Formats: sequence, structure tokens, C-alpha cells
Amino acid sequence: MRPRPLRTRTFLTAMTAVIVMAALTGCGKPDAPGAATQPPAAVGQVKTIGVAFETLQTEFWVAGFDKLKAECAAKGITMLEGVADGDASKQFDQVKNFINRKVDGIIIVPKDGKTVIPMIKAANAANIPVVLYNRPADATDARHTAVAPDNFAITRETVTYLVSLAKKTGRKQKAMILMGDLSDVNAIGRRDGFEAAVKEAGDAVEVVARIPTDWNQEKALAGVQSAMQANPDIGLIFTSSDFMFPSIKSVLSNLGKWKKHNEPGHILLGGFDGDATAYQLMADGYVDATGVQDVYWEAEQAIQVILDAKAGRPAPVRIDDKGFAITQANLKEMESRMWGAVVAKNKK
Amino acid sequence: MSRIIGSEFFVLFLCLIAFAAFAPFTPGFVSTGNFENLLTACLPLLVLATGQTMVLITGGIDLSVTAIIGLSSVVGALVMGGEQGWLGGSPMAMPVAVAGMLATGALVGLFNGACIAWLRMPAFMVTLTTTMFFSGLAVWLAKKVVNAESIYHLPPAFLALGAQAWMALALAVFATFVAHVLLARTLLGRWLYAVGHNPRASLISGVPVAGVTVGAYVLSGIFAAMAAILLTARLETGSPNHGKALLLDVIGAAVIGGTSLFGGKGKVLWTVYGVLFLSLISNGLNLLNLSDFLITIIKGVVILVAALLDVWRTRFVRGS
Repeated sequence: MRPRPLRTRTFLTAMTAVIVMAALTGCGKPDAPGAATQPPAAVGQVKTIGVAFETLQTEFWVAGFDKLKAECAAKGITMLEGVADGDASKQFDQVKNFINRKVDGIIIVPKDGKTVIPMIKAANAANIPVVLYNRPADATDARHTAVAPDNFAITRETVTYLVSLAKKTGRKQKAMILMGDLSDVNAIGRRDGFEAAVKEAGDAVEVVARIPTDWNQEKALAGVQSAMQANPDIGLIFTSSDFMFPSIKSVLSNLGKWKKHNEPGHILLGGFDGDATAYQLMADGYVDATGVQDVYWEAEQAIQVILDAKAGRPAPVRIDDKGFAITQANLKEMESRMWGAVVAKNKK
Repeated sequence: MSRIIGSEFFVLFLCLIAFAAFAPFTPGFVSTGNFENLLTACLPLLVLATGQTMVLITGGIDLSVTAIIGLSSVVGALVMGGEQGWLGGSPMAMPVAVAGMLATGALVGLFNGACIAWLRMPAFMVTLTTTMFFSGLAVWLAKKVVNAESIYHLPPAFLALGAQAWMALALAVFATFVAHVLLARTLLGRWLYAVGHNPRASLISGVPVAGVTVGAYVLSGIFAAMAAILLTARLETGSPNHGKALLLDVIGAAVIGGTSLFGGKGKVLWTVYGVLFLSLISNGLNLLNLSDFLITIIKGVVILVAALLDVWRTRFVRGS
């Protein structure tokens, strides 16, 4: 009797099962040939850092990402990178990959302050220090360090300057704020700073439009268009991030209201970040002020936290980027400290 | 050659080739930790793609699955969230929340199916508009009730679905097995294929085409809600933003596996292979430290080639 041939389906199923079982039982060990992970770094030595960004949508994030890369290169550290495109689950996968690669530290720009918490906990379980870059987490006992700007104070300083200009006009100014994604604590801080400064202004300023942009330029454009349609005499606009200035410019240009600060009909404009676009618009005279967060300093601090953690030094829970407001009044004096000015000048 | 290309294990062969290609050169690829990561990462996609497969078999498409994930996630979190949840702190919070999430998926699927089957609207248009509507509804609901987009403090029993890999795996395997049995062993499964092959002939033969179509979308909605359960538990947060970037991967995985976009052809097992292949590619390229944009480009090319290959494969096998 001829032996029955092995059925293809049985063979493949068995083969697949073998491979999966072999992997799950750890037959492929990290130091086996073809699985070339780096040997663990000695105590105090940082060899690899995993950097997980939520997005590289704006100049700010690109500048921060590039600075982290440059800092790692300067210190001889290998940087593993991941960009989640706004997907928290994808970011979690990237962080878990870093953990699997046994990196010496992880720097995360979280999608939001809540979804990052399980990621921090996963890194804590693997004893890998975690730094949140520019966006802190919500209240949690998971161990990490947040390097972030004081959004409230910087925005308040910026908008207070705009209010002082508004008062000089002698008339009550109608104001508009473009808010960010309110699941982002940065957006909440900037909104609150704006509201605080406007409240202190008393009757000089009246907020007639609060545009929820979700950090989206198209939503910003549509929101500004609608607000200007409803309130054509808006005299003060604050954007929670400079990357939305092009949307504002587009609308105001179409309405014939895109004027420099020394031209009649100028609308007071303020922003936050201090990017190259804002610098150029300030240098050209269209934007009155912007809050600057020191993206380069924050990157340096983030890496230093990991170096300190590896050396056994305690890591702080929070490192504040004090930032400052740059205005038409102090532009020449302060532009050297504005990262956007550096980027803009490097481009020329 | 035609036997290999026409084989229903073709994509599994590709998985083995991908594994063999990555293993020697990719640091950390062949390790228990990485396989666990790969497995937990692909489970929501597997459940979603399985639901999508049933719709594709009928010749339709469901673009609203990501909106269903967001809405279900918010509904579930609003029920069981610790601080402001309607049943927060109650032992019934989790079962009611899970039931609510599944019901949400089923209701959205029912709406989609009804518009497509009874109002005779194109599936693409219906599910595209319901994506917009239900995505917006999810955000509105969260902001209206808790004045935030993300809802936290979910019950530990629910979070265990995300924290314990075996629980997530059990749920995904169960869902996939049920779908396989439904397609392969039940009258409804045969009807789904019949409607996909030729709806007119099916109608004449006595198949309740409208009911079957509605059923497919209801099932797709339920499976999307199950994916929402996995994602919400994993990220410990109810959010309308969960799964937003998954749509291309969902359809891509089903198409790579061999499910036809024209209807009448597809299997759950093929979709499993498709999900595995796409996940292997993503995982391997990620570990090679390629930029995320390059990975997206490569995945897009892979899905396009898979779709072209499917068309060519079908013609080649028929010709042979």
C-alpha cells in the first residue's frame, strides 16, 4: 500500500505552528545570529535612545526632532526614531519596539496626556527612563520626567502685550483665539493664558470667537473665515500655534486686511511657538508678538535627563522651559534667542 | 508556477519569505519580546479586517469602521469611566459598557446596511458620510458629557484585556473563529458569497439579498466594536481618535490576503495571512529604523501590488 503523501495544508499549518512556537518559547534569543541587538550599555553609558514623536507636521516638531538627532550624534548615541502620525496605538507599538530593543532611554512626544500613561508604565516595567518632550502627561504615578514650557505664563505675557497695543487704539477691540487640540495640555494652557490676559484687560477687549482647530490648518482657515464673516471688525487675533499663521494670512489677505503694524487697518496678531514663519512675519511687520518656547534647550534637557538617569542621578518630575514673549518692541534684542529666527536665517 | 501563485497559501509563502528576509538583518526581530509585540499590535487589525472581509465578500465596502471604533470607545468609557461614568465604580460597569460598545457597532452597521440595501445607495458614499457623522458624534459626545476628548479611569477588569496579551489574543481568536465558521459552515455564509457573486441571480434563487447585505454591515460594525474594546483597553483611554489611521491597513490586509474587492471571493484564513504579512512588513521595517514616511510608502506599494497581483492571479489561474 502506497504511503499517503503529506497534505500541503497539514505541512504548512504545522510549519507555521512550529515557527510561532519556536519564537514564543524564545528559541530565537536576542543574541542569536541574525538578531543583532546591541549588547547592554555599561552603567552610566548611554548607547541608544528611542524617540517617538506624535507628528512632524510643523516646523516646531521638525526643529525639535532634528535637534534631538544632532544632540545624539554629538554624544555618540544611536537614535531610533518613530513618528506616529497622530495614532496613539501606533505610538505604543513604537515604544514597545524600543523597549524590546533595550534602549537606554525613551523620549516621547505624546498624542495626548492620557494615552501616554500605559506607554510610560511599560517603560517603567523595563526600567527604562522616560522623558516627555514638550507635552506633559496627565496626573499619574508612572515614573517619568516632563520637559515642557509654561504655556500659561508665556501666552499671558504675549497677549498682555497685544492688549497694551489694543488699549492704545482707544477703542474696544474684538478678539479671536484659535485654540489647539484640547486633549493636549499645551493647548489648554495657552487658552487659559489668553483668557487670563483678556480678563485683566477689562473692557478693552471682548472675545467674540473661539475657534477649535484641533491643530489642523484647514479647520483654522474655515474657522477664521467664519469668524471674520460674523465679526468683520475683529481687531485682535491670537493663534495657539504659529503654524496656523498661513491660514490667518490667507483669510485676511482675501479681505484686504493683511496690513503691517504701522499701516492703517492693521489687525493685532499674536502667536505661540516662535517658529521661522512667525519670525519672518514679525520681521516683515505683520505679526506683533509671539510666545517663544526654546525647542533646542528642551531637547538638550531631555537627553540630559536620560544621561543623568543612567549615571544614577535622580530625575526631576518636571523641567520648565520658562520661555518669553518676543514682540515688535524687543525683536532686535531677543531674536538671537528665538529658534525660529535661527532656522529662518539658516535657510537663507 | 501557476500552482504556487494560484495557491490559497500564496500569502503565507510571502509571510515566510518576509520572515526569512528580515530575520538575519533586523536587530531584535527574532525574539520573544518582538513576537509578543507583533501579536498584540496586529490583533485589533485582525478583528477589523475579519469584519471587513465579510462586507467585501458581498461586493461592498465599509469605510466607517474607524468611526465605529471611536464612537464605541467613547460610549464604553462614558458608561464605565471612573470619575464621571454613568456606572462608574459599579460591578455592572464593565459588562454594560462592553454590551453598549457592541450595540453601538451593530447599530451603526444596521444604519449603513439599511441605506445600502433598502435605499439602494452606493456603499462607498454611505460609509464615507457615516464616517464623518459618527466621528463627529464621538467627539461631541465626549466633550458634551465630560468636557474632554479622552476619558480615563476605566475599570481594572476591562484594562486587563489590554494588559494581558493572552486575553486580547483569546478575544481576537474567538472573533476570527466565529467569522470563519459563519462563512464556511452556515447558510448565511453561503448567502454572503452568493450575493457577492451575483446579487440578481441570488435574488431570483430566493436569497434575501437585502437582509444579507444588512447582516454583513451589522457584523462589520460588531467586529469594529470588538476592535474598539481591544484598543481602548490597551491605551487605557476612551477616545474618539482611536484607530483613525487603520482604514488603509484594514482594507489592504483583506486584499493582500486574497479577498476580492469585486465580491464573491474571500476567506477569514486568507485575511489572517494578509494581516500577518502586513504586520511583519511594518514590524520589520520599523526595527530597521526606517523613517515612518518611508514605511508608509512601502506599505502603500505593497498593498497596490497585492491588488494588482490578485487581478493577475485570477486571470492567470483561469487561463491555466
